[in-house]
Amino acid sequence: MRYDTARLADFSALRTEEKKSGVDQIFLILVLILLCLGVIMVLSASFPRAWYDPAGVTGGNAAYYFIRQLIFAGAGVAAMLLASRFPMGFYRRFAPHFMGLTIALLALVPLVGVKANGSRRWLGVGSLTLQPSELAKLAVILLFAAMICRRRGRMRAFRTDILPFALILALIVGLLMLEPHFSASIIILAIGAAMLFLGGAPLGWFAAAFGAAGAGLGVLLIFFPYASTRISTWRDPFSSSSNEGYQIVQSLYTIGSGGLTGVGLGGSRQKYLYLPEEHNDFIFSVLCEELGFLGAALVLLLFALLILRGFQIALHCRDPFSFLVAAGITTLLALQVFLNVAVVTNLLPCTGISLPLFSYGGTALILQLAEMGIVLSASREVEAGS
Amino acid sequence: MHKWKNTPGIGMLRRTLFLMAVCGIASFLLLFWRLYVLQITDHEKYESMAVSQQLRQAASSPERGKIVDRNGFTLAISASVDNVYLSPAEIESYGEDRDLIADKLAEILGLDRSEIYEKASRTGSWYVTVARKVEKETAQRVREFKEEYGIRGVRLETDSKRYYPNATLACHLIGFVGTDNTGLEGIEAQYNAFLEGGEPKTLREVNAYGADMIFGEYAEYIPGGSGCDVVTTIDSTIQYYVEKHLKQAVVDYDIQNGAGAIAMDVNTGAILAMVSLDDYDLNDFLAVSAEAKAVVDAATSREEAAKLLRAFQDRQWRNKALSDTYEPGSTFKIITLSMALDCGAVSTGDSFYCPGYVSVIGRTSPIRCWKDGGHGSQTLTQAVQHSCNAAFVNIGLRVGAERFYEYCDAFGFLRLSDDPDVNLSAKTGVDLAGESGSIWWSRNTFCSERNLSQLAAASFGQTFTITPLQLITAVSACVNGGELMKPYVVSEIRAADGSVIMRREPERVRRVISEETSKTVRSILEQVVGDPNEGTGRNAAVGGYRIGGKTGTSEKVSLEAATGEKQYIVSFIGFAPANEPQIALLVFLDTPSNETGIYISGGQMAAPLVGKMMADILPYLGVRPEYSEAERAEMDVAMPQTVGMSPDEAAAALREAGLRCRTIGEGESVTAQLPAAHWHLARGTETILYFGAEMSNEKESVPNLVGMRYNEARDLLSRYGIYLHSLSTVWDGERQCIGTQSLRAGSSAAHGSVIEVTLLSADEELLGRY
Repeated sequence: MRYDTARLADFSALRTEEKKSGVDQIFLILVLILLCLGVIMVLSASFPRAWYDPAGVTGGNAAYYFIRQLIFAGAGVAAMLLASRFPMGFYRRFAPHFMGLTIALLALVPLVGVKANGSRRWLGVGSLTLQPSELAKLAVILLFAAMICRRRGRMRAFRTDILPFALILALIVGLLMLEPHFSASIIILAIGAAMLFLGGAPLGWFAAAFGAAGAGLGVLLIFFPYASTRISTWRDPFSSSSNEGYQIVQSLYTIGSGGLTGVGLGGSRQKYLYLPEEHNDFIFSVLCEELGFLGAALVLLLFALLILRGFQIALHCRDPFSFLVAAGITTLLALQVFLNVAVVTNLLPCTGISLPLFSYGGTALILQLAEMGIVLSASREVEAGS
Repeated sequence: MHKWKNTPGIGMLRRTLFLMAVCGIASFLLLFWRLYVLQITDHEKYESMAVSQQLRQAASSPERGKIVDRNGFTLAISASVDNVYLSPAEIESYGEDRDLIADKLAEILGLDRSEIYEKASRTGSWYVTVARKVEKETAQRVREFKEEYGIRGVRLETDSKRYYPNATLACHLIGFVGTDNTGLEGIEAQYNAFLEGGEPKTLREVNAYGADMIFGEYAEYIPGGSGCDVVTTIDSTIQYYVEKHLKQAVVDYDIQNGAGAIAMDVNTGAILAMVSLDDYDLNDFLAVSAEAKAVVDAATSREEAAKLLRAFQDRQWRNKALSDTYEPGSTFKIITLSMALDCGAVSTGDSFYCPGYVSVIGRTSPIRCWKDGGHGSQTLTQAVQHSCNAAFVNIGLRVGAERFYEYCDAFGFLRLSDDPDVNLSAKTGVDLAGESGSIWWSRNTFCSERNLSQLAAASFGQTFTITPLQLITAVSACVNGGELMKPYVVSEIRAADGSVIMRREPERVRRVISEETSKTVRSILEQVVGDPNEGTGRNAAVGGYRIGGKTGTSEKVSLEAATGEKQYIVSFIGFAPANEPQIALLVFLDTPSNETGIYISGGQMAAPLVGKMMADILPYLGVRPEYSEAERAEMDVAMPQTVGMSPDEAAAALREAGLRCRTIGEGESVTAQLPAAHWHLARGTETILYFGAEMSNEKESVPNLVGMRYNEARDLLSRYGIYLHSLSTVWDGERQCIGTQSLRAGSSAAHGSVIEVTLLSADEELLGRY
């Protein structure tokens, strides 16, 4: 069912809606289990770096990152519950505004962003930092869902049904490449494509898009030397194990050290400053070392169940917007999990993608949990007994 | 399922299910497969790579094996010590006081304060070494300091240090280890694999910057195999005697270019002692002598100083007895004699005429004998006794170049090659690092029928170079019955539990000469030392013992050709007992100075030295002296105790001892005597008996005694109340003169002092380069 604008502000009505059907318990529990595991892993993975404090951030407080992550997780759960309370009509109504805000922030990043590792990706106010690229992922999902709904499933004409989407994506990716932020661009493009795919765009367009993407990648490899270095590092990380390949070689050491059952929670040795970003992008490697193949497979299984449950929620939504948003957010989650694990296992070239619910990072975690909250909001609309 | 207006839902469903299958199932299957490959299939590969970077090997194995001499006395032993290091990053993060750390450590360790402060300020680092191999007590003081102030940034780790209880003794044989406890020289290097034992012992877990892991206390201790103990053939006592006398000789003769000595068990090839001078303290092997240090300090630049220091170190570490080659000179005549007798080229009944020179085909000028005017007609024994070059040229020519080379091959001086144009070389194959090889003419050059000059010169030990070790090994074969033995210095290797891992039996290389020949050679060589009238080696004689040997004075021909400067290496090779040899002893002194007043020759310098060494070594080896009546009549005697005796009793006691006396004062009994009882002094010395009179406590200036007859010096000194004792055998106080004296000329001596001297034959005929 759909909400009209007048009812959106009516909070008493929201409360009555709440009584009608609750959020999806299984999805919520899976999210909370993964979040707990994630916070524990942040404690385990981060304490050596926090203790030795080579960058002079923590002052030798071993629990520094853990406590912060705990606070963010609390805030994130609150954000999730709050997001689950807003009706889906609210998101549809404000999707264009959200996109506008996101684009404005993206445009700000190259101008006033915080620079790190040769890229400007963060906007910062005090110690609070935000990657607008994270917002952009959600904005694309929400806006595209709304736009597809307006076309009522008719997605055939290029000029009216494909081009506007393509232009939005081009604008966002263009802004991201100014930072530059390659991995976020890929995710944005992929999620945009997934939305169009779900929205019923003719498959021929995808063939064309893949062709264009391939050509674009070729151009990228030729004109961006750092991209081609990444490819050669990916194919043989050990040939440059002390420079470009260092991260991935250390990650392989870490994962490989785990074996079947792992060295035990907290027992990782690779996290002793050998593995870079061990509580961040490479937290899954530490998990693999400490909990072994069995533990890593269990965590991946939980993610898989969460993703399948997300799609199940989408399939049971009565409203096309809710369906599209739930499926989109779930796809985004799946994409991030896959890319992160694929990168740390060197299945794909190394690039910075965090693992949802696990990687240390305040605003990203809060946003991810809010996204889960939106899926939960969609799950309220699932027909009882379906 | 929701409905799109005018849109079939079945298409959406298909697409969603497709995406669901890809995102929720297919991608995860791919990840499971990848993790399986990394964690199960390749687990061990990655684990070992990770472990190798995570574990830090302790700087040493704490159980390096001992090196002991043949009687079990320790020559080298390891003990546990500590390395002190800083973790500046932790000093920084705990806010520990760098000034305090620098002050205290500088005080405890005796190091430069500013250097420690600088190290403590390298805040990006987790591991900066401050002091290596700190003794237990010092390390304990560091620990107490840490505890007292709660300092975490100062750390200690166990290491091991090598101790050499005898400091310089046998330093070139034993060698030393570097900071990583790997042997760098001598036995330490040669037997490093056995001494250092198995794999590293302590492994610490460290982070990427080298600091300990926080909870890394469970760091594994992997006990590797302990190092083995090495039992050597070195006899510390013999080594000590040889070193003592050789060092004294370097001072007495003002040796310019170092000296060396080897003592070998003639029957087994075991090296009992090996000395190379200058030596160094194994416990401080980097330190050079004071003179060398002065030169280094005077260098103009840092690089220059480092280069000089390195050169001095290399020089003091060089084992001259093993690594230097030289022209042996007349000591080689033993070899020529042995081969000539063995192949029948000469016999003991042959006689040789020496007109003072000998002409040789291929030489424009004749070879001169060391004695102007020549030795005249002489028997084979006399030719050896006289060290007659002319006779030995003839002996060599009789042997012939081909046979000469074949014997040299058999003696281990060279290895014959199929290529007649290459210069020839050989080594003994001793189990010591740094052995040099000999250098000989090619077969075509040496065996040329038109030019016999090489053969002629080689017959008396010139125009080729060999190592001292090669010479003593070959001479041992000449006197031990004819068997060439392979020299060795390690006889046994024992595991830490005492079980024998390797036992080395004496290794017979080959028979070189017959037993009969060897016997003849022994008896001829005994005549060189034992005959006080004809033997050029008579200064090596030791009363009561039968000693054989041969002198050598080799001119550095190539040096003279290059610079015009005449330099000599004087040497002597002896063996004893002459009838049944146990030990051979070779000493060589490189470039004695012209200033000492002693004639530069092996007979005047090296022979008495070997005599003194033998006089100490043979009683130690349990060889009993057997004195002849004549020897007893000349020997130094012990001063009897006469205090309290009546004048008649005292005179009788002295007479019986073979001493004379004069008296001072009047009285019933002896109140004091000079010298004190039990001192050994020259027979016939006039001693002083006091009867109530005061003894003077004046001091006298010691005169230069070198060159004086023994009896003459005895009588001169006794007038001043100073006495003489000879370390050399006295066979005739009128025909022996003083070679060296223990108290230098000009130093002061109290009344009653006894000066120890060595004696040389005063026979002018004996002065020559042989």
